[in-house]
Amino acid sequence: MIRIFCWTIVGLLLFLPGWIQAQEDFIPEDSVEFRDFLILQKEVTGLGYRFFIPEAQLPDSLHVDSLFQFSQTVSGFESRYFVDFTKAKELENTLINKGVSYRLDYIVLSEVVSTSAAQEYLVDLVRDADYPIKRGELKPTEDFVSLASQTPYSPTKQFKLKFLSDYRLFVVTVMIIFFFLVASIMIVSMLSMKAGKNKRENLQKEYGKRIIAPLTSLLFEKELHEIQEMELEEIHSFFPKNLLARPMYQHVLIDNIIGLNKKMKGDFKEKLKALYKKLGLDKISIKTLHHKKWDRATMALVQINEMDLVEALPEVKKFTNSTNFHVRSMAVATLLNLSEKVDLIFLRDQTYPLSLWQQMNYLRIIRFVGSQKGLKLEILFDSKNQSIRIFGIKLVRILGRVDLIEKLAGIAGGVSEEEKEEILETYAALGAYMETAFINDCLKSSNRALSLAAAKAAAVVGDSGSADILVDLIGAETVFRKKHSYLKSLYGVDKDKFAEVTLNNANPEMLELRNHILDPMLQNV
Amino acid sequence: MKKILIIEDDLLISSLVQFRLKKDGYETHLVCDGNEGILAIDALNPDLIITDVMMPFRSGIEIIHHAKQSQPNTPIIVLSSLGEEEQVVLEAFNMGVADFIPKPFNPNELAIRVKRILK
Repeated sequence: MIRIFCWTIVGLLLFLPGWIQAQEDFIPEDSVEFRDFLILQKEVTGLGYRFFIPEAQLPDSLHVDSLFQFSQTVSGFESRYFVDFTKAKELENTLINKGVSYRLDYIVLSEVVSTSAAQEYLVDLVRDADYPIKRGELKPTEDFVSLASQTPYSPTKQFKLKFLSDYRLFVVTVMIIFFFLVASIMIVSMLSMKAGKNKRENLQKEYGKRIIAPLTSLLFEKELHEIQEMELEEIHSFFPKNLLARPMYQHVLIDNIIGLNKKMKGDFKEKLKALYKKLGLDKISIKTLHHKKWDRATMALVQINEMDLVEALPEVKKFTNSTNFHVRSMAVATLLNLSEKVDLIFLRDQTYPLSLWQQMNYLRIIRFVGSQKGLKLEILFDSKNQSIRIFGIKLVRILGRVDLIEKLAGIAGGVSEEEKEEILETYAALGAYMETAFINDCLKSSNRALSLAAAKAAAVVGDSGSADILVDLIGAETVFRKKHSYLKSLYGVDKDKFAEVTLNNANPEMLELRNHILDPMLQNV
Repeated sequence: MKKILIIEDDLLISSLVQFRLKKDGYETHLVCDGNEGILAIDALNPDLIITDVMMPFRSGIEIIHHAKQSQPNTPIIVLSSLGEEEQVVLEAFNMGVADFIPKPFNPNELAIRVKRILK
């Protein structure tokens, strides 16, 4: 149907301009041929002719001729106006026999015009469909050969060439055809895609319904060990072999089992995991890991994680440094969750910086598995990736690993200032009183952010040395907020020194700061 | 035979629950959206309603509200993955539901609770 419609449009586009062109082409360009053509037409509305004799004297026989009815003008004699072209030949012969030289003038709407103007007038009439051309065989006359010799050669395939040579018409036609073609292709492809999508969705629904009954009966009627010991033939009695071979059916099965596993509790989870392996879906998940689309690879990692496919971990390990954020995040999460012995080397060797979201996600898993597995967090301190080292320091603080303070002290001297700030916060959180030397060093740092972090740590684990440094810093500090922070820390380290510094100072700002720090209502303002 | 209406949009979950309850000898009816649930409550006059919270067209809360107006004595068990959302649990209990079972759940545990409520 669409094909017929398209061809009709194309046909019309090709035929209409060609037909008009053909009508115009029928009018000869040569003057002799044009005259013969007019003879064939007999009469043309608004087009006539007359004879003009450019001589001073007119033969007597013509003076009284009632047919021509010559009248004298400035330059010669002109005949009356004729409309019947069939008489033209006869009139011409009369003039030739009398030995008079003459000229045939065309008259369009009472105005003498040239042959080409008369031709154009006729072309316009034809184009506007005001004049129907009479077609007929031009009979060869005795002067046919001489006429032919005067007629310049024109190719017989003029119609076709004219269409092609009129580049504007040709370009517009090509563009319209192209538009229709593209539109048709788009419509057909959209329809076929929609049909394909509907078919897939219907098939998925159908498979989803077919899965419910065998899955339900297996989960309720079989014990876990019975599922684990099931033979392939028995499995196929629940899930037909021919269906299991179909990727769509496998996909629906995986989705349903994973979905159910998330909503089920108790031995049902174990049964689902056993069934997943019995159906060979674990192999599909592992194979999908290498899918070129990142979302499919991530889904495979989710499946491995949900179904506890420990045997897939060596493969999963390969993706911990994937270029794709989601793939490497999920790979690390899967390894943290499933590894028997989490040594965190895979995390240490990550070259990409850890985002806050990733840190939060990994922390959630580490908190859960950390109590069951002995995590060697210190491995993370050896990472070449700064964000991993910072994450390691944060983990020490959040998990309360006091046993790793010594390790932190070992690396503290040679790390970046950002890491030093994290270490200081960790010392304060874990109450590392033996590390005051490091805190005091940081207090003296020219980096204000580090110095402030050290001041906060000193407020908790500082000593008399810290108090002395803080007094010096308060004296030198001009920025109100920083001075406030140092004073607050000094108050935490040594209250006597705080009183000494604030009360023996002439600066009224110092007294305001003191009141602010001592006022319990303003402590958090 | 006691009649139980299960309103749940997840066909697999509702089928599992139905299978388990049928084993205990209950007459079960499944509907998979809120609108159908409200119609089924009026049409079936069930002895117990088990409903999800997040469903197409009408939420479980709307269903509880309707059930409490039309059949105030019918006990309702809410089965939802919104179990961790305190607000939803509180709202359900304030409306007078008999029990709230959060997902993930164990169908056997659900069957025990059903038996206890219908005793």
